[in-house]
Amino acid sequence: MKGKTWLFWGGLIAAAGGVLFQTSYDVQDLEEKLAGLNRKIIHEQESIQVLKAEWSYLNDPTKLEQMAQSYLALHPTEPRQYVAMDLIPMRPADAVPPPAPALPGQPGAAPLPPMVRAPGTGTSQVASARVPAIPNNTAAGIVPASVPAAAKPLPMEKALERAAVVVPASLPSGGGLADPAPRVKPSALIPGAARAPVEKTPERAATDRAAGKLAPNAPTAPNRTTEVATRPMPPSAAPVPAPKAAAAQQPYQPKPTDSLGLLVARLGANR
Amino acid sequence: MSGYDHGGPAGYGQPGGGSGGGVPGSPGSTYVPPPAPSPYQQPPQQPPAKPRTSLAVALEQSRYRLLVTAAVVTTVFTAISVKLAMATLFAGGGEPRQHVALEVDTTTTNRADIVDRNGNLLATSLVTQSLFADPKLVSRPEEAAQKLVSVLPDMDYKDLVGKLSGDRRFVWLKRNLTPKQQAAVHRLGIPGIAFEREERRFYPAGPLTSHVVGFTGIDNSGLAGMEQGFNKRLTEDPGTPLQLSLDLRLQHVLKKELTATVQEFSAIGAAGIVFDVRSGEVLAMVSLPDFDPQDPTGLNPDTLFNRATLGVYEMGSTFKIFNSALAFDAGRIRPSDMFDAKNPIKIGRFTINDYHSLHRALTVAEVFQHSSNLGSVRMVQQVGVAAQKAFMTKMGFTKPTGLELPESGWPLVPNPWREVNSYTISFGHGLSVSPMHTVAAAASVINGGLFHKPTLLKRNSDAEIPTEQVVSRQTSDLMRRMFRFVVTEGTGKSADVKGYVVGGKTGTADKQKGRHYQKNSRMSSFLGAFPMHDPRYVVYVLVDEPKATAKTYGYATGGWVAAPAAGRIIKQIGPLLNVPTVDENSPEILNSTFLNAAGSTNWQQSLPPVSAPPPSKGSTVASFPTQTKPR
Repeated sequence: MKGKTWLFWGGLIAAAGGVLFQTSYDVQDLEEKLAGLNRKIIHEQESIQVLKAEWSYLNDPTKLEQMAQSYLALHPTEPRQYVAMDLIPMRPADAVPPPAPALPGQPGAAPLPPMVRAPGTGTSQVASARVPAIPNNTAAGIVPASVPAAAKPLPMEKALERAAVVVPASLPSGGGLADPAPRVKPSALIPGAARAPVEKTPERAATDRAAGKLAPNAPTAPNRTTEVATRPMPPSAAPVPAPKAAAAQQPYQPKPTDSLGLLVARLGANR
Repeated sequence: MSGYDHGGPAGYGQPGGGSGGGVPGSPGSTYVPPPAPSPYQQPPQQPPAKPRTSLAVALEQSRYRLLVTAAVVTTVFTAISVKLAMATLFAGGGEPRQHVALEVDTTTTNRADIVDRNGNLLATSLVTQSLFADPKLVSRPEEAAQKLVSVLPDMDYKDLVGKLSGDRRFVWLKRNLTPKQQAAVHRLGIPGIAFEREERRFYPAGPLTSHVVGFTGIDNSGLAGMEQGFNKRLTEDPGTPLQLSLDLRLQHVLKKELTATVQEFSAIGAAGIVFDVRSGEVLAMVSLPDFDPQDPTGLNPDTLFNRATLGVYEMGSTFKIFNSALAFDAGRIRPSDMFDAKNPIKIGRFTINDYHSLHRALTVAEVFQHSSNLGSVRMVQQVGVAAQKAFMTKMGFTKPTGLELPESGWPLVPNPWREVNSYTISFGHGLSVSPMHTVAAAASVINGGLFHKPTLLKRNSDAEIPTEQVVSRQTSDLMRRMFRFVVTEGTGKSADVKGYVVGGKTGTADKQKGRHYQKNSRMSSFLGAFPMHDPRYVVYVLVDEPKATAKTYGYATGGWVAAPAAGRIIKQIGPLLNVPTVDENSPEILNSTFLNAAGSTNWQQSLPPVSAPPPSKGSTVASFPTQTKPR
């Protein structure tokens, strides 16, 4: 009996000792691992610092300007390329459709800053506008449900090339409003006056999206199903009386070189 | 008798109540107690008591010894237990040191980054490795040196051998190796050579912000610019970057245009400032020639000189801004008041004259437009010396600007401020201030009269801006119109940018060399602001010693040199600053910016404003002939 007690306690002590040793070695291992990780973190931080410095160095405005001058046909923006929102005249009253309900989570339609967007935004709009012409276009099928207008990113050159063929044909009778914008490559060699509409294109696209309707030149079925499915509220005001708008647009007959006029006309025709 | 007892426990115990008990047993004793006997000398004189008391004495002795020992032991053990308790109970329970994961967002360096207002890096610390050697451990110095030179070609073989074979235990071989070089040296595997982790300050923007950011020495202590001014802050809080008010894009535009101007007019230098009049932030500040902060040593010391803050110059006609503001603010002078600008003014041995006099009386508006010295003097004559001195003090022209840079110049203020000084100061001579002074004061004149202390640190959008009302709103309104008038019909036409409602004032000052003014070395400047109906930014351009070119018809004045540069700058920075363009001739804009030569602010009565050019027979020092439109 006594021996058993001793055995029991001895066994317990041995087990406790074993566990203690095991734990101790585990802790030691973990500490070594932690020290290794900390060393790595420091190393990574130093590398990040170096990369940041390099990024800043490569983004030096002087250098960027030189590169832009030698590789791009773009110029610095000029004051005349900016238009205040108040300067844009209101449409005639009869062309105003009932205001579309503001969708939650969508950007506001009106006060978009006159900023230059990446050409990709405009391109995707162009691509989705092309959907009816080629039904098996990947854009209709692959459009992510949450992003209705952002089609599968096409190569820019390709999209532009295709858009140039289709867009004029699918335009409603816009009264000479054949849109030169999608055909213009962003890096094309045109001066500022003709370039202004290009920069405003995304703005128009965003306006359309926010108002919950389609691009005017793509009112056909496949694209609309996508649109409607993704909207929380079916936009009842979506089908715009396009001929009416176009008719109201007749007085605004801008010259192709009149960038402001083109912009105003397009804003009016699409709202 | 009682003298024997006073020894207390130290005495050898006289249990018989002192010597009184033993002494009577020895008759005829000649014992006489000494006057101050020591108890230690006592025992030999008590032989009779010894047999009876020796045991007691011994007992007593050991008792005392035990007591002392016990006390010592107790003290020591108490101390040990206290320390033990402190070490175990109160100091983390004797756990081994804590291992904690590093914070991810901290920095490993000991000096904070400096960034611009948009977060672009202006200065950062990079960890580099420096190569050192312990010559005692280098077995074959020649071979080691040979190998080192093969991977670090810029090192000198003989020098290396000397260093490696010395007697010292530590010698630097090369500081701040690149990672590639480090790997190469590491691969050589020379014994006795090792790396030390060091930091090196790196300036991605290079010379673009050199005068503002400054530079550090080899031990990473700031030696100039913000690096010096905020040395303590940068080292004490290395985790948070120091955000400046500069905008790298504006800085680039400013520098580009200043460089072009310096080249075009073969000037020796230039300075430029872009200043936010609403917050007092300096958005861009350039001084040319500049330097590479990576390698500031061994250069022409002239390049280290910051003309925008450290240099103090006689500003010339741009000071007429403050003269006019003073005149309006004193309340006695209106823009339509006439002042004689025909007859020279004589005071003492000086004669003040206009360079190209119009030979007639001028309104205050015309004095500003044509930059007439005589008119300015007549204006200050009406206001008085004391008022001028008080006004210039209020404008901050008597002390440094308070900008955070250590390179802040003290203005040269005349002492005493006599009448002749007040005359010359009215057209910008005799009081030397830095461009920063001028810009901050001019901003306060046009922004509604609020003086903001200029700063190079970005203000939080909700932080309170320290302000001081220095001129009245009415004065400020008039001054805006005067600024605009100079650009629409005066000396600063070439600074105009369509859509941005530019206003400004040209300035040309002859430079003083020794005791004389020199005719052909001058400082040409333009202080512009836009948009004038609601001023937001001041653009200042100062060109040091421009030489006239054929294109400027031999003129190198502010209107020909600095104003076009300012115009080009405004044209480029306007879109960046998100300033909306407006139609200058729309009624709302004219309402707040119109002024004509007669001093009238009513634009409807004097339509069309542009078709009535002022009769100009020539120009004053700080102007160009208005018949030929520059550029």
